[in-house]
Amino acid sequence: MNKTKKIISSVLLKLVIALVVVIDVYPIVWMFLCALKKPTEFVSKPSYALPEGLYLQNFVDAWTKGNMGTFFLNSLFYTAVALVFIVTFSMTIGFAVTKMEWKMKKFFQSFFLMGLMVPVATALLPLFQIYNKIGLLNTRTCLILTYIAFGLSLSIFLVTGYMRSLPDELLEASVIDGCGIFSMMRYIVVPLMKNAAVTVLVLQFFYKWNDLLFSMTFVSSTNLKTIQTGLLYFEDQFGSKNWGAIFASVTISVAPMLLIYSVLNKKVIEGMVAGAVKG
Amino acid sequence: MKKKLLSVILTAALAASMTAVGVCATEPDTQAEKNFKVLSIWSDESVDGQILIGMLDKYSEVNPNFTYEYEYVAASDLSTKIATLVSSDDLPDLFAYVAGTPLKNLINADKVVNISEELESLGLSDQITDGAKSIMTSLSGTDDLYDLPFGMNVEGFWYNKALFEEAGAEVPTTWDELLEVCDVFMEKGIQPLATGGADKWPTTRLINAYAYRTMGADATRQAANGEISFTDEGFVAAAQMVADMVEKGYFGEGATTVDNTTAENMLLAGECAMVYDGSWFTSSITADTNPAGEDGIGFMGVPVVDESISPSTEYPMNCGNILCLSKSKYDGATAGFLQYFVENIGDYAMGDYQSVRGYTYTVSDDALSPITKEIVDTITTATGSTAWWEAYLNDETKSAAQDNVQTLINGDMTAEEYMDSIQEAYDLSR
Amino acid sequence: MKKVLGSKKAIALFVVPGLILYVGIVFVPVIWSFGYSLFSGTPGLDWRFTGLKNYQKLFLDSRFKTALIVNLKYILYTMLGQVVLGLGLALIFRFGLKRFKNTFRTIAFFPVILPTVAVGQLFAKIYEIQPHYGLLNSLLSNIGLQNLVQPWIGQQSTALPALSVMDIWVSMGFYAVIFYGGLLDISDDVMEAAKIDGCGFWKMFRTIIFPLLRPVTITCLVFSFAGTVKMFESATALTGGGPGNATTSLSMYMYNVAFSYGNVGYGSAIAIVIFLICVIGTRIIRVLDRE
Repeated sequence: MNKTKKIISSVLLKLVIALVVVIDVYPIVWMFLCALKKPTEFVSKPSYALPEGLYLQNFVDAWTKGNMGTFFLNSLFYTAVALVFIVTFSMTIGFAVTKMEWKMKKFFQSFFLMGLMVPVATALLPLFQIYNKIGLLNTRTCLILTYIAFGLSLSIFLVTGYMRSLPDELLEASVIDGCGIFSMMRYIVVPLMKNAAVTVLVLQFFYKWNDLLFSMTFVSSTNLKTIQTGLLYFEDQFGSKNWGAIFASVTISVAPMLLIYSVLNKKVIEGMVAGAVKG
Repeated sequence: MKKKLLSVILTAALAASMTAVGVCATEPDTQAEKNFKVLSIWSDESVDGQILIGMLDKYSEVNPNFTYEYEYVAASDLSTKIATLVSSDDLPDLFAYVAGTPLKNLINADKVVNISEELESLGLSDQITDGAKSIMTSLSGTDDLYDLPFGMNVEGFWYNKALFEEAGAEVPTTWDELLEVCDVFMEKGIQPLATGGADKWPTTRLINAYAYRTMGADATRQAANGEISFTDEGFVAAAQMVADMVEKGYFGEGATTVDNTTAENMLLAGECAMVYDGSWFTSSITADTNPAGEDGIGFMGVPVVDESISPSTEYPMNCGNILCLSKSKYDGATAGFLQYFVENIGDYAMGDYQSVRGYTYTVSDDALSPITKEIVDTITTATGSTAWWEAYLNDETKSAAQDNVQTLINGDMTAEEYMDSIQEAYDLSR
Repeated sequence: MKKVLGSKKAIALFVVPGLILYVGIVFVPVIWSFGYSLFSGTPGLDWRFTGLKNYQKLFLDSRFKTALIVNLKYILYTMLGQVVLGLGLALIFRFGLKRFKNTFRTIAFFPVILPTVAVGQLFAKIYEIQPHYGLLNSLLSNIGLQNLVQPWIGQQSTALPALSVMDIWVSMGFYAVIFYGGLLDISDDVMEAAKIDGCGFWKMFRTIIFPLLRPVTITCLVFSFAGTVKMFESATALTGGGPGNATTSLSMYMYNVAFSYGNVGYGSAIAIVIFLICVIGTRIIRVLDRE
């Protein structure tokens, strides 16, 4: 009795797992396959049919007419620069408001956390006017600055949680060994904060990479657009809905991420697992 | 000496009198040095983009001191972009814009050049066709032109000839016949119509089509001026007509998820028998990628309801997106370009691209494809025109009209509620 | 020790650059937004002081009400889906798998890294009905459920749930990984002991696992709330707010009001409402945390 129950539940579990894998993977595989279809195949064949051959013109179209190369590099650039600053600032500020000794630290800690409650939409309209006035509209700078500023609160929130568990004795020992504040940061704090840093990186990457609201408001030149805005207006570029080229562009934008991720996934997930819990 | 003095005095007097009445036409200077800024919504891949860039290139040959910067933005970014540029008083020399209320706002704020005055002084008023002139002035509600046409479109139903033959159906001329034909197609298992409900405007045009056939070409303008109400039973009947046609399945399943390009492609691929669209569609019909072949598609005007209210030769017509010149940037160099542009675009567009742009042309249209020829003839023989559904609406009312048309054809809103929602948005924005 | 950690110079260097950005780009604009909400029109064009009129207008505006309801429903559906399915996946990671643990985790995290607009285009094709059935409708029609074939994103009743499903698909792996971290922290001894006491899985989950996971659950709720309250990217990409206004969120409506209708003042009033929702929502989650 108990045994059959166990078998049934294990089979059910396996089915669920298989289903999850299919749901997660099949759309992505399907997208790659669609990128190889000729325009006529979208009309004449059911959506699940395999491509007749390798129709690589889609990729050529996406790259040249669709500017996917430019968009991809832009997205990567904005995200990477913003992430470097977010991680740096959240480390230094997180350390300053938890471990350092000054009067206003409690105040500033909650002041930074207030930003958690600010939705991006609320700041959008004033920011647009400010950037317009000081001539920053339609530049790389304004997007990067905005990304950094809006990444701070959540990152500081995560880092402070982790900083608190950092034993004071360690810091004391390092001072006794003759460490100044900067070498303490470099040799003690940062190495111990690796997991927190990974968490911040992954989380913020997720938010910045997917930003659409800021990029579609602040940037309109084709050579400054991100993948998100580029894909959104893709139809206009082609005049007609060229699904093959759209899927090719999506593939182009996704493939490098899958590659980077499959190399780094162990680190990313371990870091997330260790870091998020503390936050 | 005396003569010279006299002429100086006369010129001064003339200049003074001109400033006095506020009319000061700028002399074209075809040698002036200028970096001409252009803001466009047409990429260099599109026919429109190629024609505009072609004109700019050709003029740079005439005036070697003339250079240009061509900035391309997506059509959906245009109004944001222009709003930004207006508030920093930095409109480009030449820019694409939207006729109707958006342009009206720029005219009221005195941001755009009075094209009629400039063409008058250049002696080129006749270069723009009368049809285009009347459409554009009635859209902006002015006596003078403040924009340049960059297209001349007629709208109506396009049909797949092979499917009509297969079903043994006649091309309908009255609205009742249209409904009968739809039923014939339904029986044969052919989808009668398709509409780009995802893009919203193709569906509101259907309402407009029935409304102008039953209420006259001026109905939407009157409603926008407050002379009649949007809740008038004629409008409700038009919305009801389209809702009923969707309900009967004429537009297939999920019409709100289909975009206009898909609807067009369905017609070409023989997956539906008719589509309502504008004559910009001809470029897809004459393209080699058209599976139905150039002769496989025909054009018919909107079927008539009552010949005495709206005759068959009255069509929905428009000039597409229009071009404006920034008033604060206008100078001799721009006038030189304007002169060249209006003198040559008619021939250039027709000769090189078989495209009607609202300007007179001298090239023969014998070489035209039959469908283009038919369109050209339709435009020249039209006795009257009407605008599109949202032409006279401000942005808020327009988006109520467009967003709710999806709700209407989904059956989640009645025709009365739909027209009420337009009236409500209209009242709120007053 | 004090000298090192109390160094004014170091504190200034650590805090000031981030502080300037934070104040200038996050803090000031929120206050500024409130100021804007007392005006009507576009700055530089037809800018007039109108006091609290914009806030009165909110009560009359049926499109605002629709957007508010849509936004709240979306938060509810999506948060629930993300957290519950994330937890479910995490339980499978932890207890259901002996082999391929890593591979499965990697696969479940896949969709997280896809750009939202790309996902939107993918799902638009999956939900398609005309001219050809998309993946979902093909599947339904092939397994004999023809009567379930419908325009998923084309009708009022299913558009918002369809959108939520897409967003849950994207991010459940993300929450699963966070929950998994929490599950790893629960020691095997506790669970062994429970098993010996004759606890079934469900009872063990209710009495031991879930209470211990509370801090992680709160973290997930905070992340999910922050992600769903802004509702803009995915809806713009999948439905563009349609059909009608069935998937138009507050942020999208604000964007239209400010940029398409040229009423930055009224748009700012809507922005302030979004801010208030955020404040209230965060409070509610905090209260849950304290209980």
